[in-house]
Amino acid sequence: MEKELIDVDLSMKFDSLSVLENIRFKVHENEFLVIVGPSGCGKTTMARLLAGLQKPTSGHVTMRGESISPKVHNISIVFQEPSCIPWRTLWDDITMGLVIKGVDQSAIKKRAEEVIKLVGLDGFEEYFPKQLSGGMKQRVAIARAYATNPDLLLMDEPFGHLDAQTRYLMQIEIMRIWEKEKKTVVFITNNIEEAVYLATRIIVFSKLPARIKAEYRIELPRPRKLTTPEFLGVRSEVTEQCEVVER
Amino acid sequence: MEEKINREKYKTLGYNVLTLFLFLAIWTLAYWLIKSPFFPSPLMVFNAFLELLIHGDIEDVKLGMHIQQSLWRIFGGFAAACILGIPLGLLMGLYGRVYDSTKVLIEPIRFIPPVAWIPLVIVLLVGYFRFVFIIWLGAFFPIFIGTLLSVRGVNPLHIEVPKSFGASRFYIIRNIVLPSVLPEVLTSMRVGLGIAWECIMAAEMIGGERVGIGIMILKYAQLIRMDAIIVGIIVIGIIGFGLNEIFIFVEKRIFRWKEVVSI
Amino acid sequence: MSGRKVKIEVRDLCKCFGDLEVLNHMNFDIYEGEFLCVVGPTGCGKTTFCNVVTRLLPLTQGAITMGGEEIDFKKHNVSFVFQEPSCIPWRTVWDDIKIGLQIKGVNKTEVRRRVNAIIELTGLTGFEHFYPSQISASMKQRVAIARAFVTEPDLLLMDEPFGQLDTRTRFSIENQLIEIWQKTKRTIIFVTHNLEEAVYLSERILVCTQKPTGIKEEVLVDLPHPRDITDPKFVEIRNRVTDLVKWWE
Repeated sequence: MEKELIDVDLSMKFDSLSVLENIRFKVHENEFLVIVGPSGCGKTTMARLLAGLQKPTSGHVTMRGESISPKVHNISIVFQEPSCIPWRTLWDDITMGLVIKGVDQSAIKKRAEEVIKLVGLDGFEEYFPKQLSGGMKQRVAIARAYATNPDLLLMDEPFGHLDAQTRYLMQIEIMRIWEKEKKTVVFITNNIEEAVYLATRIIVFSKLPARIKAEYRIELPRPRKLTTPEFLGVRSEVTEQCEVVER
Repeated sequence: MEEKINREKYKTLGYNVLTLFLFLAIWTLAYWLIKSPFFPSPLMVFNAFLELLIHGDIEDVKLGMHIQQSLWRIFGGFAAACILGIPLGLLMGLYGRVYDSTKVLIEPIRFIPPVAWIPLVIVLLVGYFRFVFIIWLGAFFPIFIGTLLSVRGVNPLHIEVPKSFGASRFYIIRNIVLPSVLPEVLTSMRVGLGIAWECIMAAEMIGGERVGIGIMILKYAQLIRMDAIIVGIIVIGIIGFGLNEIFIFVEKRIFRWKEVVSI
Repeated sequence: MSGRKVKIEVRDLCKCFGDLEVLNHMNFDIYEGEFLCVVGPTGCGKTTFCNVVTRLLPLTQGAITMGGEEIDFKKHNVSFVFQEPSCIPWRTVWDDIKIGLQIKGVNKTEVRRRVNAIIELTGLTGFEHFYPSQISASMKQRVAIARAFVTEPDLLLMDEPFGQLDTRTRFSIENQLIEIWQKTKRTIIFVTHNLEEAVYLSERILVCTQKPTGIKEEVLVDLPHPRDITDPKFVEIRNRVTDLVKWWE
């Protein structure tokens, strides 16, 4: 039933520092996979490897049997840091991926209008990033990533810089978007509550050098509530597996 | 809010006018105390200014002509510095290899003051190009180095977004690198222009010409006419200030997306 | 709560920026040795509140008094911990922690005794001679906490200090904060967006309204430490606070 999309089997070193060790997992089509781990454990490196922006020291990342590359595959990434291009209006920013991929004008217009509506930014098309709040900027980044209909949508701690409340709103939002337009998502976070709220499956990374510590399939019904005993139970279980970074 | 900003503006303007008056008062006071034929009062300088403006200098060249000639020379040197400095800075910023491999040549030249080149220039170049070369030397390095550093300072995230969509190198340079370095290039141009103008004295010391603000100062220096010399100095200062302000104005207009414009 | 001594009185606190009213007649007391949390919807003026208490902004109206006297940093001993890492890059952990004592002119042996004690309490033993660039974000926040506690402040103001830490590390540092607080019995005002954190830490929660910020309600958290986030009583209080904040409306 589950179609395999991506196969990961790799190790990564920076000079002599081992960052990722024997990371081996698969990503299935249309799943919402969350990778959770303590800060500074190499999660961002994992995201860059999955995006094909970096090559592993050994091993491979393949999508449908082919080594992953942004020039070949349709991948989108949402970064933790605000990545809106300051001199582009919201419209120009969101259509960037479509323009690069050579989509024709009328299709660009149609799709951009669609995703702008999807993230609830209609009316802000001519705004520059400096005129938007932190939450809105991240929505632009999400819309930009969604616009190209990616086969793989990567999100690297996309809500890390938002305050706890805006973060909850964005989590609800991303779930709503995902349920409307199912995509294969790999979502990276250090927030366990967020992981349990969003994921169909969770992979827990250890601290540096990162290994896979545990894997959970989350089958709680949606929309999930943060304070049900079942939710809190799963959350505690995952928390147990996460390590505390002392240094 | 706007009203408040306006009020602030007028306040600043008022304080500046006050500063100017205080300066003139102290100058006048100093004149009375020193009582030397070589120390003119503000009024004497102003009279010299009118004289130069209306009747011209000892060779009947009017102040306007001097300024015009100097500006024309500056323009030549500055344009040459931009035409060479910006593309070279971009190239070396994008391809660090080129800079690293030519460092041995570029860096020492950077530290040679334009004045040191004057004897060489007198022998090797003629006419307009003498001035252009000296001014070019002064303006080139701030523009070149500023551009180079700005390319290296592009936010890597802004490059990775299009890269993750599979964008070509050309796309990234055109749509990310260029717009992102533009404000800093303009700032370094402003710095370059300032230095070009500062080099006007050095350039015009070469001699052989009769017109130019620096030459005018030299003429009166031989006569020990302090009032006229001071007119020349003040004119240089005010024109430099004016050029800088015009540049800042343009920067603010162009970069509406930028949160703050550096001063 | 009623039997406790009032430490700080906040009376009729108002702050306006031009015509914009941000703080709207806030009135509350803080008790001796209390752990008080302030929560509210996003953008409700919590930052302004902190800046008013820390005197970075002047008050428009009202007063904050301690023992009948208007609060004054020259006279009273107030410490802060902010969200952004505030370690000084060229000072080691040890030098950073002692800075407050140095400013207050405490003598050297006393400085050594107190810094040693707090380093042990915050679990920084062995890292005394490390520079901020050599330690993790959570360690930096612990240095900030140690620096704030070491002066034995009358009041400690913490503005979302753990906002940037990962969940697991945050729990561990929160537990440590509770332990230090229980041992030193300092008075703490803790401002946060994170409602679970507020219920986990505090004895009392002030829930603020949207701008202009006033106090909507006080919620007592009468649970023993260490608290369990899955405890039904805990969940009940958390849900109640969430309903009160209702930031999404």
